[in-house]
Amino acid sequence: MKSSLAIGLACAGVLAAGTVWRQALPGYHYHFPGDYFSHSGFRTEWWYYTGNLQTSGGKRFGYELTFFRHALSRDRGSGSVWDVPDVWLAHLAFSDINGQRFYHTERLNRPGPGLAGADITRGLIWNGNWFSRWSDGGRRQQLQAIANDFRFDLNLVPVKPVVIHGEHGISRKGPLPGEASHYISFTRLRTQGTVELHGERQMVEGFSWMDHEFFTHQLTADQVGWDWFSIQFDDGAELMLFRLRRTDGAADPFSAGTWVPATGAARPITSSEFRLTSEATWRSPATTGVYPVRWSILVHPLNLKLQVTTPLAAQELSGGPPASPAYWEGAIDIEGTRQGHPVRGRGYLEMTGYAGKIGM
Amino acid sequence: MASFRLLYRFVIRPMARERLRTVLTVFAVALGVGVVIAIELAGQAAAGSFHASMETLAGRADYEVTAAGGVPVEAVGRLATLAWPIRVRPRIEDYGMIAGDLRVVPVIGVDLVADGRLAAAGGEAPDAESLMAADAIWAGPDTGYHKGDTVRLILNDTERRFRVRGVLGSAAGGAFVLDLGSASRLLGRKSTVDRILIESPASESVLRAVLPPGCELARFGARTEENRRMLAAFRWNLRVLSYIALVVGAFLIYNTLSVSVVRRRPEIGIVRAMGATRRAVLGAVLSEAAMLGLAGGAAGLLLGRVMAEGAVRLVAATVDSLYVSSRPAPIEVTAAIVAWAMAIGIGAALVSALTPAWEAAQVPPTEAMARGRREYQARVRRWRNLGLGAACGLAAWLAARQAPVGGRPLFGYLAALLLIATGVLAIPALISSLASVSAGCLRRIGAEALLAGRSLAGSLRRTSVLVGALSTAVAMTVAVAIMVGSFRQTVLDWMDDRLKADLYLRPAAPASADRHPTIRAELADRVAKLEGVAAIDRFRAYEINYQGMPATLAGGDSRVASRFGRRSFLGVSNPVPIFRALEHPGTAVVSEPFANKHNVHPGDRLRLPMGARIVSLKVLGVFYDYANERGYIIVDRRTLLRYLPDPASSNIAVYLKPGVDLEAGRRQVEGALAGARVQVLSNRRLRQEAIRIFDRTFAITYALEAVAILVAVTGVASALVALVIDRRRELGLLRFLGGSRPQVARMIYYEAGLLGLLANGVGLLLGMALSMVLIFVINRQSFGWTIRFHWPVAVLLGVLTLIYMATVLAAVYPARIATRLRPIEVVHEE
Repeated sequence: MKSSLAIGLACAGVLAAGTVWRQALPGYHYHFPGDYFSHSGFRTEWWYYTGNLQTSGGKRFGYELTFFRHALSRDRGSGSVWDVPDVWLAHLAFSDINGQRFYHTERLNRPGPGLAGADITRGLIWNGNWFSRWSDGGRRQQLQAIANDFRFDLNLVPVKPVVIHGEHGISRKGPLPGEASHYISFTRLRTQGTVELHGERQMVEGFSWMDHEFFTHQLTADQVGWDWFSIQFDDGAELMLFRLRRTDGAADPFSAGTWVPATGAARPITSSEFRLTSEATWRSPATTGVYPVRWSILVHPLNLKLQVTTPLAAQELSGGPPASPAYWEGAIDIEGTRQGHPVRGRGYLEMTGYAGKIGM
Repeated sequence: MASFRLLYRFVIRPMARERLRTVLTVFAVALGVGVVIAIELAGQAAAGSFHASMETLAGRADYEVTAAGGVPVEAVGRLATLAWPIRVRPRIEDYGMIAGDLRVVPVIGVDLVADGRLAAAGGEAPDAESLMAADAIWAGPDTGYHKGDTVRLILNDTERRFRVRGVLGSAAGGAFVLDLGSASRLLGRKSTVDRILIESPASESVLRAVLPPGCELARFGARTEENRRMLAAFRWNLRVLSYIALVVGAFLIYNTLSVSVVRRRPEIGIVRAMGATRRAVLGAVLSEAAMLGLAGGAAGLLLGRVMAEGAVRLVAATVDSLYVSSRPAPIEVTAAIVAWAMAIGIGAALVSALTPAWEAAQVPPTEAMARGRREYQARVRRWRNLGLGAACGLAAWLAARQAPVGGRPLFGYLAALLLIATGVLAIPALISSLASVSAGCLRRIGAEALLAGRSLAGSLRRTSVLVGALSTAVAMTVAVAIMVGSFRQTVLDWMDDRLKADLYLRPAAPASADRHPTIRAELADRVAKLEGVAAIDRFRAYEINYQGMPATLAGGDSRVASRFGRRSFLGVSNPVPIFRALEHPGTAVVSEPFANKHNVHPGDRLRLPMGARIVSLKVLGVFYDYANERGYIIVDRRTLLRYLPDPASSNIAVYLKPGVDLEAGRRQVEGALAGARVQVLSNRRLRQEAIRIFDRTFAITYALEAVAILVAVTGVASALVALVIDRRRELGLLRFLGGSRPQVARMIYYEAGLLGLLANGVGLLLGMALSMVLIFVINRQSFGWTIRFHWPVAVLLGVLTLIYMATVLAAVYPARIATRLRPIEVVHEE
């Protein structure tokens, strides 16, 4: 699951008549590498990279690089290169943990003459000069992101094969058919490369996580937002959990997760199998949104008890276009026990709907 | 303290006493300064205007990319994916005309998806529906349109209805904004944009590496700079013209001070005898001048600001039709302008006061004791002056033969100044010879005329200054009238030669020197197939940049041109072989202004950006052209289409078959164009319109001349008042001796009439010489046009009569003063 964040344009409901979108339905068969790229029959699609990195000297960084596609119309356009069948949004964030600074920026583009897109023949998913370049059937993914204050160039190599979330090829978000997404992840990508902050260039290494998700309908009307965790344990296992929050404050029964053991097959987690408790909050000075930044997690079938903290409270992405609500997405630290044995890990946490409802 | 008393005695008191003359002098200076300031302000506003119109929403940028015929869209993607921090903003830039009130407005296509800043400034982001809708438009706050309004815009050859989806922030000014998608469709930019703005710390070479060779990359603002450069010559000439009024004003200060120094000689003698130094006297006279200058400068500043309102419209019209699309920026009175007004006011006053002040300082203390008054006119050394004048004339002749300095005809201006000096220096000799020759003639008219003539010749100095001022103004007016008249006739002859087609088609959207709206190819095809049409010549023009200067690249059908049309080439009697050769790719002909500006000759090769490529073209000939000052490069239509494949036309010349009636032909053509907003002009209409634009273009020069004349006539009035006051005793005596009031008045009128006649005569001669300098030196060096000399007889007669009448009318008030003198009182004064 991942944020559908608001595509700077108020797209809701105003689609040209006649376009029929594909629904995420059970029984979907994945074909790779084709399914790593674009699915223009679905309205929304995203590619989400997050990661924790450090220098050999121990300096720690977090990053987020996200490519969104949102379709406006599949009607035959005028044939102009500037037609807008899709808008492409990208978010870029960079956390300087030691410097306790958070940088973020975003861009919105139409496909235009090579401005943004996902192109399987070139192995490229890009928005301007931010890109993810795939080679060797996904066994190598190269990221480049450039902003005014910082840039990074990273080489990502999957340690584990791709994980398909949910059951029957769909990750359900609501009770009705089609209220679901197709959702896959690379849960552990060994990462090496360089980051450059204010002109100072440093070698870094660490682990990244990549989500790819495509769908047509997702959140239902009574869902206000979600909390999403991706955790990479030191012992080689990973955990993904998301909780959908409803307008009445309760957790939605379609909240779910996936457990990826160090070796062996991934296992889905249902909403009744885990519990999330927020223990401390941070108030954003920019949006006055109040975000939980300390969590405890219980996953009953795994006997997993975790404490989640963040090394940097201010990791909120705000100040985008008016229709684009703010959200929090940042690096987290994990400590706890599994089957009574201590475990540690790092990960990323995304919290939406704390500073205005996410509408999609 | 002593010096202040001196100042008070000599300067302030007399100024206050002779209020009328002081006011007139100040007014003359104010007019001179006012004109200079008005032209400066108007020029600034006009030069600032490219900024105002096309830089709408440009925001901050480091670079801009342009190309002849448009920048290929692929360049946008390549720039946007460069591995540098970069923001790339492609723009489609054009103009449209509001169908209701025919107002011309910038219509700008920007990327409304990427430009969140813009959307936010509008308060409302464009949504999916409005991005797709064909009728969505956003309005700048100065357009006067509101959200939900309908606006009908004529774009190229089509009128379209739009619904205003939002009003943008103040940066959008008076422009209408479209998304790139609709802009590319509606304005016919299929695969190009007009400009790419880039915000990036990357170096030029990094950016250039991903651009096609035909694209031009420049620091942002360079294009505005180019336009400014192109306008520089025009502004220079306008500026020089505006200083004429100031020079005439300076003559008047000189006159005022000379008279007042002479009249105060006894007083000066007394203060010298009482111990005042020469320097103190010099200082006092200069202070008087400075005060006149200061007052004139301050009044001139206000006057200039007022006159600038009118001037800016005239200047902007000229800029628009000759150079570049513009909408005048607001007039701004800066501190520099204020300082400049004061500086030229005081400066002109001080310079013209130098001689009178020096003369005042030379008054010996003994003069106070001496009896009687030395007539200052006796001091004029007319023959020495004549000699000096001859030397100036020779120098003028030499200066006129010099090459331009840095593209500016500095020696041409020098020649003009020297010519004026020649005229002014020759005037005393001329007057005294004329006086003796004409005495018999004047006597026959009457005693009043004879007295008037003698009085003028008697006060030779004063008469010379007056005639000098007036004839300078007359000369400049005559010169400009001859130049413009010759230019006009040349253009008329050229149009006779050039415009051979029966009908001309052009899109209803407004064209100007740098914007070329188009007619769709289908329409042209339909017209070409009409029964009554023998041939059509499709002409397509593009704005290009040739070696840092804007120029126009165009394609025409050489075959049609050689069969039907005409173009006269420099030094070539039969143009047909040139048109034949022009059918070969890689050849071009250029217009005379282009050839002069870039020093291009037949046989040279031009390297020209066309689309993505750089093309080498051989110059076959240079043709006469007066249509625009930027200069034309013309190639065959097929050559043009090879590099810039858009088949639309900027305008179309239609040749009817022999025997087809003009009106019948026009009806056929209009039928074929049904629904499109295309104007069909007959040959005659086109000519009329061209000459109307020509006249509008030169309106500003006429206005400047009018002011110079006004200054000079003011001077005549003020001088005649002085003359009358000065000669109170003489006039009183005349009346005492039995002269009637009407007789005295008549004498004053005769004096004014003689002054006017002299000034007109001298001015006409001098003006003719000046017009030669204007036409053959200044025009050629700054604009590069061949103009054939032509006497605009009617205009000249009109102007001279008007000046003459004004001069005589200027005598009305002085004559009244003269007739009101009481003879007894005046004679008793002695």
